[in-house]
Amino acid sequence: MSAEGPPRGAHSASGGGSAATQSQAWGDHANVPERPATAADRSVQLAALLARVALADQRAFAELYRHTSAHLYAVAVRIVRDGAVAEEILQEAFVRVWHYARTYDAAKSQPLTWLTSIVRNRCLDQRRRRELDTVSLAPVAEDDAPAWDIAAEGPTPVELLLSSAQARSVRDCVDALDAGPKQAIALAFFQGLSHAELAAHLREPLGTVKSWIRRGLERLRRCLDAAGVTG
Amino acid sequence: MNLSRPDRQERLDRLAAEYALGTASPRVRRRLAAIARRDRTVAAALSAWERRLAILAEDVPGIAPPPRVWRDIAARLGLDPEGASRTRMTWWRRVELWRAFAVASFVMAVALGVMEYQRQGRPVAAPLVVVLAGADAKPGLIATASHGERYLTLKTIGNTAPAAGKVFELWALPQAGVPRSLGVIPTGGIVRVPLPAPVDESLSNIPSLAVSVEPPGGSPTGQPTGPVLYSGSIERMY
Repeated sequence: MSAEGPPRGAHSASGGGSAATQSQAWGDHANVPERPATAADRSVQLAALLARVALADQRAFAELYRHTSAHLYAVAVRIVRDGAVAEEILQEAFVRVWHYARTYDAAKSQPLTWLTSIVRNRCLDQRRRRELDTVSLAPVAEDDAPAWDIAAEGPTPVELLLSSAQARSVRDCVDALDAGPKQAIALAFFQGLSHAELAAHLREPLGTVKSWIRRGLERLRRCLDAAGVTG
Repeated sequence: MNLSRPDRQERLDRLAAEYALGTASPRVRRRLAAIARRDRTVAAALSAWERRLAILAEDVPGIAPPPRVWRDIAARLGLDPEGASRTRMTWWRRVELWRAFAVASFVMAVALGVMEYQRQGRPVAAPLVVVLAGADAKPGLIATASHGERYLTLKTIGNTAPAAGKVFELWALPQAGVPRSLGVIPTGGIVRVPLPAPVDESLSNIPSLAVSVEPPGGSPTGQPTGPVLYSGSIERMY
C-alpha cells in the first residue's frame, strides 16, 4: 500500500535476512520453509518456483530469491572478491532469471545448477575483463570488501570441494585427486582463477597447471559418473 | 570446428570441462556458448559438466546479500519490493479494485446510516468522513469525527504504514493557503489525532486532508517535506 521506501518492519525479509551476515546456502529467513531434507527435495521446490516465475508470479520470484540469493551471492563474492561487484552481478542475474525463467529446462539441469551457471558465467566474464585491464597477475590481492572477508575467513577452496563431496557421498572422488590437481581445480572453481593466475599462485609452470587440471577433471569425471551422481 | 563429430568427443569433453570449471579462455568461452545455442551435443556436454561440478559446490556457506540488492532488482523490473502476492496487471489489480470498492461501499453505508439517523432526528454518529487514498486511488486510511469531538479517529486500511524510521503526518488542506499540520499520526490500527478545537471549528473551510511521510517527530519545516501519499476530501454528513 505505501508507495515509497522499503517495506517496514522486517524489510530485510526479501533480502535474505540482514541480521545474519553468514547463513547456510539455503537462506535463514524465518518465512522460508524448513530446509528441505534432501538435495532432491530442494530441487523440486526450486523447479516449482522457477515454473511459477516463468508465469510472472512475483511472489514465487521473491521466494526464489530468498531461497537462493545467499548461496549465489557467496559464489559470486568468492570469484569477484568485491561485495559491490557481486551485488551488481546478482542483480543482473536475477533480472535475467525473471525474463528467461521459461527457458529453464528441468530435464536438462537442476535449478540451482542453472542459477549458479548464470551467476558464475557473469563472474568469470567480469573477472577475465578485469584481468585484461591489469598487468599484474597477483591472484590474491586482498580486498577489504566485508563480504569478501566473510568468504575469505570461511573454508578454503579445497575444504569446500571436500565438504560438498562428502555431503554427496563422492568424497572418495575428490580424495583420489593428487594435491596439486585438487588445489588447482578448487581454486579455479571457487575463486575463478585462470590458468595463468593458477600458475602464478601455485608457483608452477603454466604447462604443469594445465595438465593438472586436464587430468584432474578426467579423473573426477570417471569417478563421479561411476558413482552415478548428477547435480 | 564441428565438435559434435564422434571423433571430436574427447576434445569437446575437455573444452566443456574447462568451460564449466571456468578456466577456458574468454574466446573459447564465448565460442562454446555460441555453438551450444544451436548444437545440442555441445549444449549437453556443457550442462553435463556443469552438473558434475555443481555437486562440488553445494556446501558453499551462504552469505546474505544486503537488502538493497533485492530492492534494486524489484525496482529494475518494476515489481513490488515486498514481493507481495502481486502478478503484474492481472488478478491482483482486480483484488485491489474490489477492496477499494468495498471500502467505498462501507463509507457510503456509514454515510447513508448517518443520514438516516439524521432524518429521524437521532444523534449523529459520524458527521464527518474522509477516505484518504493514494495516487492509485487505493484507500490507505479513513478519518471520522463526530460533532463537538476534539479529535479525529483514524483507521489504517490493509498494511498501510510508514517506512521504518519515518512517520505519517496529517495535514488540513485549506481552500486557499498552505497546508496546516494536524500532527503526527500515532501508529496502530485505530488511533486518535487530537484537534486544537472541536472538529466543526478546526476543520471549517477545510475541504480535504492529506498524509505525508516525515522524519520522526514530524515535518521540521511546518510544511510537508516527504511525499504526500494519501489525500481525500472531507465528506460532511450534515
